[in-house]
Amino acid sequence: MLLRGEELSKSYVIGDQRIQAVNAVSIDLSPGEFVAVIGHSGSGKSTLLSMLGGLTRPTSGAVYFEDESVWSQRDVPRSLLRNERIGFVFQFSSLIPTLTAIDNVVLPRMFGRERVSKDVYAQAEGLLETVGLGEKIHCFPSELSGGQQRRVAIARSLINRPSLLFADEPTGDLDEQTEAEVMDLLLRTLNEDNTALLMVTHNNALADRADRVLQMKDGRLL
Amino acid sequence: MNIIQIALREVGRRKMRTLYTASGIALAVALLISTITVGGGGYQDLTQTINRYGHQLTILPATTNETSLQGFGIGGEHYIPEDAIPHLQEVYEQAIVEGWRARDALILIEGFIGDQEQVDPATFAPRVYAETELKGRDIVFAGIEPRKEYIAKFWWEVDAGNLVRRDDEIMLGKILASATRTQVGDEVDIAGETYRVAGILQETNSPDDYMAFATLPTVQRAFNREGQVSLISVRAMCAYCPVGEAELAINQGVVGVRATSQRDIAAAQAAIFSNVFTTVVGFVIMAFVIACMAVFNMIMGSLHARIREVGLLKVLGASHAQLARLFMYEAALIGLVGGLLGYLIGVGIAYLLGPIVMPDVVIRWEWEHVALAVGAALGASLLATLYPAFRACNARPVEAFRAL
Repeated sequence: MLLRGEELSKSYVIGDQRIQAVNAVSIDLSPGEFVAVIGHSGSGKSTLLSMLGGLTRPTSGAVYFEDESVWSQRDVPRSLLRNERIGFVFQFSSLIPTLTAIDNVVLPRMFGRERVSKDVYAQAEGLLETVGLGEKIHCFPSELSGGQQRRVAIARSLINRPSLLFADEPTGDLDEQTEAEVMDLLLRTLNEDNTALLMVTHNNALADRADRVLQMKDGRLL
Repeated sequence: MNIIQIALREVGRRKMRTLYTASGIALAVALLISTITVGGGGYQDLTQTINRYGHQLTILPATTNETSLQGFGIGGEHYIPEDAIPHLQEVYEQAIVEGWRARDALILIEGFIGDQEQVDPATFAPRVYAETELKGRDIVFAGIEPRKEYIAKFWWEVDAGNLVRRDDEIMLGKILASATRTQVGDEVDIAGETYRVAGILQETNSPDDYMAFATLPTVQRAFNREGQVSLISVRAMCAYCPVGEAELAINQGVVGVRATSQRDIAAAQAAIFSNVFTTVVGFVIMAFVIACMAVFNMIMGSLHARIREVGLLKVLGASHAQLARLFMYEAALIGLVGGLLGYLIGVGIAYLLGPIVMPDVVIRWEWEHVALAVGAALGASLLATLYPAFRACNARPVEAFRAL
């Protein structure tokens, strides 16, 4: 098993109120598997993804990546796990505005164990070519369209050849044609490396392409 | 690419904000540097003054009315017998030897009969004063032993001509020469005698500027004061001679004279200077606190504006330490710019205002001050960034994650 979430719960206290965002959710993911999590806004999808990705500590429950507990690790090894084994693609543009497309793609390597070498830039250039942006590698995000920015983000999520990719509404603000292009690209690239994908989406058409679809409501899996 | 480059680009992206913050630090550093430069120069000037006058001892008749001679405080109608000078020398030398011995600092040289203690003898320069007229002006006419006087008053410089050497020559203080329009080579009458003006002294900012000088026997003879002197200037021939002990020994052991050291006056001036300097340093510290607050505000503002980016960097695997470094590098860049800018402004202020605040101060470029300016600016900037960096490290990426 690549990823396992056991009895995950997350609650927040806002003022006098306690909000139960996720309630005792268990989930697992095999290598190369594509799982879609659907549900309405506020159903707890993003919080679940955040806990599984080592970004938000669960109130209770545990997350295991390749049988190693994610939340019992200290900051540095957990950051390295995120950096080296997991990729993230977000709903809106998530590029650093002061960096060019290729620098944005290389960014995760900067936080890794090794120095960023020329080989890494060559790899980033190859990834940008794969996503159809070979001509735009030195463009800043402000010079790219929304779809192009999403492609840069996909290239960035793959720079470390992750075993698992988390995608939170990855085609959220794209038109239908660009959405289809981005998804085709994402799935093709993931298949090549047998990378698992956990995607949070509202979009049933996208979810239909998944191996499994999980539905969330009020913090629980249905 | 590395974290420093990301920090550089971020600083470059927010140019106005960076400049505004750096200028706050620059002002604090400018205040520090101008204070230290002017204060340091002033302190050096004061130290020179202490060194110049501090090792001087003046021996006066015990009954001297100090205001009697045209308000100069340089003697009156009371005198010290000239033949008392050897005894005064003996008391003085003995006190100096005892003083050194108490400090365990006597230099011993090998002699025929055991080791001998070596103390450079002090110079005793006697003066006699008389009130008289020169070209219709009331003046003080001073009789001196030229060779000893030149040693005792080592800061004397001749503006024109020579120092007085013969009994028929006189020498004038700068202001007296100007006031009486007297030049080198002129012949002038004083108390019925004619003297040739051998030289004019450079201005010394002392009563000497208003006096005429002739040899001691000349003045003693002219005013019937043979065997009498008005005061004796004693110059210790070492930088740290225990003059205080000699002063005490003369005052306690010799009747009819009173020894005074200029060191107390100089030390009092130094204390006043030190108090003023401390006050100004207080203002400098306040300026640094304000600069720190400006940096704090800027970095906190930057953190709020970049919460998405901070979240993204965490998501991409940046550790707490890496995020903290990113903010620290930004602060260091701001500090560096502020420090260098502040140094230049500070030196400029020192050059412009230094001579107004302290007329005799000499302003110097000190490379150590560059290091101090940059160090202080970096320190302030980094200190002010500690908390924002801590906040950035502990920001919950999920909020940013959702916002992205």
